[in-house]
Amino acid sequence: MSAAALPAQSAPVRAWRRLAASKRSSLWGLLIALVAAMLVTLVWLAGRYEASQVQSRLDRDTADALADLRSALTRNAQSLQALQSGRPTPDSWSNDAAALLREHREWMRIEWRNAGLETIASADSPFRPSVFARFGRGNAQADVALACGNARRVSGPAYSSSYFLPQLDGMGLQVMELCVPQIANGQPTGYVVATYSLTEILSDLVGPQLTRSKQVAFTEADGTRLALHGSARRGSRIFTSQQLLDLPGNTMLLRMDSWRGAPDLFPNVLTALVTAMSIALLAVLVLLARDARRRLQAERDLADALAFRKAMEDSLVTGLRARDRQGRITYVNPAFCQMLGFSAEELLGHTTPPPYWPPELAGEYLKRQEIRLSGQKAPPREGYESVFMRKDGSRFPVLIIEAPLINKDGVQTGWMSAFLDISEQRRVEELSRASQERLQATARLATVGEMASLLSHELNQPLAAISSYATGSINLLNLQTAGAGAAATEFDALGEIEVAMRRIAEQAERAGKVIKSVHDFVRRRDQEREPMAPQALLDAIMPLVSLQARKVGVPVRIRVEDGLPAVVCDSTMVEQVLLNLARNAMQAMDQARVSDPSLAIEVRAIAGTLAAQSGKAWVEFSVADLGPGIPPEIQRQLFTPFFTTKSEGMGLGLSLCRTVVEQHGGSLRFEPNHPQGTIFRFTLPAEAAGRGAN
Amino acid sequence: MQAGHNATVFIVDDDVSVREALAWLLRSRQLQSEVFSGGHEFDAVLESGFSASSPCCLLLDVRMPGMSGLALFDKLLARGLVEVMPVIFLTGHADVPTAVDLVKRGAFDFCEKPFSDNALVDRVEQALKRSAALLAARNEKLVLQRRLTELTERERAVMRLVIEGAPNKLIADQLDISVRTVEVHRARVFDKMEVKSAVELANLVRSL
Repeated sequence: MSAAALPAQSAPVRAWRRLAASKRSSLWGLLIALVAAMLVTLVWLAGRYEASQVQSRLDRDTADALADLRSALTRNAQSLQALQSGRPTPDSWSNDAAALLREHREWMRIEWRNAGLETIASADSPFRPSVFARFGRGNAQADVALACGNARRVSGPAYSSSYFLPQLDGMGLQVMELCVPQIANGQPTGYVVATYSLTEILSDLVGPQLTRSKQVAFTEADGTRLALHGSARRGSRIFTSQQLLDLPGNTMLLRMDSWRGAPDLFPNVLTALVTAMSIALLAVLVLLARDARRRLQAERDLADALAFRKAMEDSLVTGLRARDRQGRITYVNPAFCQMLGFSAEELLGHTTPPPYWPPELAGEYLKRQEIRLSGQKAPPREGYESVFMRKDGSRFPVLIIEAPLINKDGVQTGWMSAFLDISEQRRVEELSRASQERLQATARLATVGEMASLLSHELNQPLAAISSYATGSINLLNLQTAGAGAAATEFDALGEIEVAMRRIAEQAERAGKVIKSVHDFVRRRDQEREPMAPQALLDAIMPLVSLQARKVGVPVRIRVEDGLPAVVCDSTMVEQVLLNLARNAMQAMDQARVSDPSLAIEVRAIAGTLAAQSGKAWVEFSVADLGPGIPPEIQRQLFTPFFTTKSEGMGLGLSLCRTVVEQHGGSLRFEPNHPQGTIFRFTLPAEAAGRGAN
Repeated sequence: MQAGHNATVFIVDDDVSVREALAWLLRSRQLQSEVFSGGHEFDAVLESGFSASSPCCLLLDVRMPGMSGLALFDKLLARGLVEVMPVIFLTGHADVPTAVDLVKRGAFDFCEKPFSDNALVDRVEQALKRSAALLAARNEKLVLQRRLTELTERERAVMRLVIEGAPNKLIADQLDISVRTVEVHRARVFDKMEVKSAVELANLVRSL
């Protein structure tokens, strides 16, 4: 509220603000960078987590697959053992073997061999042509022997190492031999040899749910791939897991390759979620930053507006003051402080009466303020005048314009007042009025002087002639009496004197004409009378009247009846009369220090006896004051020329007023006003509009 | 009366009653006058070859329509007439600086209206007297000059030496003529110049 109380924005403060602004922007940068780093890390970690998830699942799958394989191989070995139970004949064995082969695709061939490893019976897989067609079974004898040797040593099923078996179609198979010994009394009696296809092991013995979308392979320890199931997809990310499959007589690695469908930025829901949240976070950050920037901009705009307003207030020569509803001063601008000589701190928060009220007027002001604060009477729009006191005790006139202070909710919170120091203006007005009055007086004097000069010349001529004739006549008469000499004979003295007398008479008449012409000149103003609207007469004097009224603090009330006829008058003279009466009234109230002064000027048409007598309509002007009235002893002398009650007066005002009014045919009188004061009334003839008179 | 019968008072005033009254007044004191209604009328008289042969003076109103009294006075100054025709100004408005100025420049007097009439006439008579005296002096000088022009060369030489107070014998020596001849010339000079003695002759010539 109190902008005046705010310290001025100093240079260090501005620098600090600049610094803060740059600091703020770098903080924002840091925040964004940190958030970005965190998000990247999160995404990366999520990726990592997912990868490890995939890896561990793959590891689990591999372990499952391995377990499957182990149990399947064990079961297979038992199936082969079961083939020998019940002393089979080679034929029945072949049937059983063929039935087994139909169930187990992983076996290419089953043989029954005796203890000397000679084939007793054999059966080939019905699912494909004999795998040994090209290679010849005999070539695999070493592997069989190795496997059976192992089997005999461990007294249980044993495997050979795998070997490549070329095929007729030009392809080949990686196969290994399983040898299941038949032990009787600790001595092997025969062997069942089954040829496993590694590829078929992978495709049949490992659960299809494990091998889906995976590539399963057997490799040797050095990484050489022996068999493969499932197909690899190029360009995809591969996860790999290996487990050792150690069989009696053979050791292989089961390798499982898993991939992910497409190179994905959001490999799974978590990452996607994190990413989405990150994006949301970033978006919020961006929005926040933008909002902050907008706020900053608004702040800057506000600061600018504030500075603008402050500059405006500081540059004002008009004093501003705000009061709350209790009359406490809530705001003052520098001009107001300067006007009064008080500092803002001395004035702010000050309650009634403020230090700038002159003590002798405080009571009146207090009354005025109570009326104002109670909201009974709105202050005049054009302002009112008052007198304030500076800190040094000197008084000066101010013009106060007040307006209600209404907050954003529409509730009045106090009053805002503007103050104009009008002492200078007053002085200038005073000066100009004084000089104007002087000028008028000078002009009047000049006119009088000119007139006197003209008059003296005009009168001088006939007077000089008269004087000459008279002197000449005396000369002649002297001559006559001195002696009827030669002069008398040549000079008809009596005749001459007669001529002279006649001339004297002529010149006297001429002088009389001069005097009459002066009179005529004065009367000529009668012809300058013209119809004037009463309102126009008042309008002409109002500026001067209100000037003085403001000065002495008198409200002026004007009432002009509607439909008044024009008055026939010499407007200049009548204006003088009105002005004189108004001034007298205001001076009377001012001198007597009337507490509640008022000046009323009224114009009305009058009927009645006066109108009836003259057969004319009349308009009455009245000027009423609330002054002390006129004492009886003064009343008697009121219209006497050169009688005055004023120290600076000439005593001509009222007597001239009456002369002017009477010249117009009207009358000027006065009567006491109620409850106090005086009313001056004068009448002027109205224009005879409808009557056709004159 | 003393100024002589042929003296004339010129009256210039735009107001007919004033100038006629003045003329009448002057007549009651046996003074002739001529009236003019303005500066231009009187100027016309001057233009038509006026020369002040008889004593005269001028009563001049300062303020007149057309040519004012001051303008007319300037013309008179230019013509050198102010000496022989003394000017008495008449005015209704006493303006001391103007009056002083006019008198300094040669005006005879300055009378304020309404004037004391006989006093004015007295001043008029004084002016006429002065005019007459001036005219007389001027005439005398003219006569003297005419006489001088009647002398022969030889007579003039003799006259000069006579005025210097030289005796006849010395004059004869200086002019290389006989004493007898000097005496004849001397007698002729005395005769022509209408003097009776050498002293009278010397006074006369010195006044020139």
